[in-house]
Amino acid sequence: MKHDQPELIDALASEYVLGTLRGAARRRFERWQSTEWHVASRVRTWEGRLIPLALGLPPLAPSQGVWERIEERIGAAGSARAVAPRRGTSRPALRALAAVLVLCAIFAGGYVAWRMTEPSRLQTVATIQGTQGALVWSIELDSRRERMRAVALAGAAARPGHSFELWALAPGKGAPVSLGVLPDAGQLERTLNAAQRTALANAAQVAVTLEPPGGSPSGAPTGPVLFVAALKRA
Amino acid sequence: MSDTEAADSLDAELARLIASCAARDRHALRQLYDLMAPQMLASMVRILRRRALAEEALQDVFVSIWQRAAQFDGSRGPARIWLLAIARHRAIDVLRSERVDLYREADMEQLPHAETEGSGDWSSAGRSAAALERCFRELSGEQRRGIELAFVNGYSHADIARVTGEPLGTIKSWIRRGLASLRQCLEK
Repeated sequence: MKHDQPELIDALASEYVLGTLRGAARRRFERWQSTEWHVASRVRTWEGRLIPLALGLPPLAPSQGVWERIEERIGAAGSARAVAPRRGTSRPALRALAAVLVLCAIFAGGYVAWRMTEPSRLQTVATIQGTQGALVWSIELDSRRERMRAVALAGAAARPGHSFELWALAPGKGAPVSLGVLPDAGQLERTLNAAQRTALANAAQVAVTLEPPGGSPSGAPTGPVLFVAALKRA
Repeated sequence: MSDTEAADSLDAELARLIASCAARDRHALRQLYDLMAPQMLASMVRILRRRALAEEALQDVFVSIWQRAAQFDGSRGPARIWLLAIARHRAIDVLRSERVDLYREADMEQLPHAETEGSGDWSSAGRSAAALERCFRELSGEQRRGIELAFVNGYSHADIARVTGEPLGTIKSWIRRGLASLRQCLEK
């Protein structure tokens, strides 16, 4: 193989990313791209070109237990170092302040005269996904399940003249309880009231319906159910 | 929010989570898993045909993401591309080490929506997908089919020759010319 020809490098990179470069040639190419940045850069270019093809496939939820096995496998590596509790990630200023506090603690020999209240950690409890795999919202709750954050991810295309509303689905015949309107973009954080907290504690699923702007006027769902997602237990 | 903005905001969120993985935050890996594992698994099952095999490979992928998170550089491309690339390369590696029978009916049943092959939802992939879709339309039917079978289903040149009934040389030339045309069109 002549390795100094840009066209040849590009052709090999394209067939490598496509998957048709196989066997010994594939292994040789992999070694080559791991040592030559210009080869690796052609691979990245082709990945950027072709991989969107793979993003169009309908998603498949992994079976129960796959995550547990991943956790077991990273266990040894993960437990060697303490995992810092995650702070409210939407608050860069707060995180910067926390970093300053750490520095203060170091410089003052551990003596810090004041403390700040650390926001409790938010955990994803539901990921609401469209049928074509367009990721729509991630729903997060704090450990006390009092504060909820809804983050619009991909594909949450706004529908003019409508709002998306989130509901806690009660098991059995109970009526769904509104958890509020979801953001069309960005994120929205709110404190849940007692009725919403109780509904969430009992619910196994959440649903999203299409409602008039600002949400259902009646307090019960009026529009079509667009998505249903399982709720993870804390 | 437009599709492109949505894709960008997802990439930004994924990049943040990868950075947290590099700082050994396991919750971030779990969030990455929730967001991306279904998309990655879909791609891997198409290549490996056996769900159990694909799920084993998916575990390898997430262990690898955990180990390689510090190597991710967001300036070199979107996070989704990086994640999917790891998943695809792993699936192709497994494909070459396992004897995967392309034509076992029992396995084919597990393929999700085989009829949607190549006609997926491009909108969720954002800007790069729009250009790819446009350029894909400019390819000849044979070139498009060859590239789709290779990329989406993980078929080798010989596999494609077998399913299409065309000579191997013809398949190689479809793919080579198809990729060259794609490159030309995408660089415009």
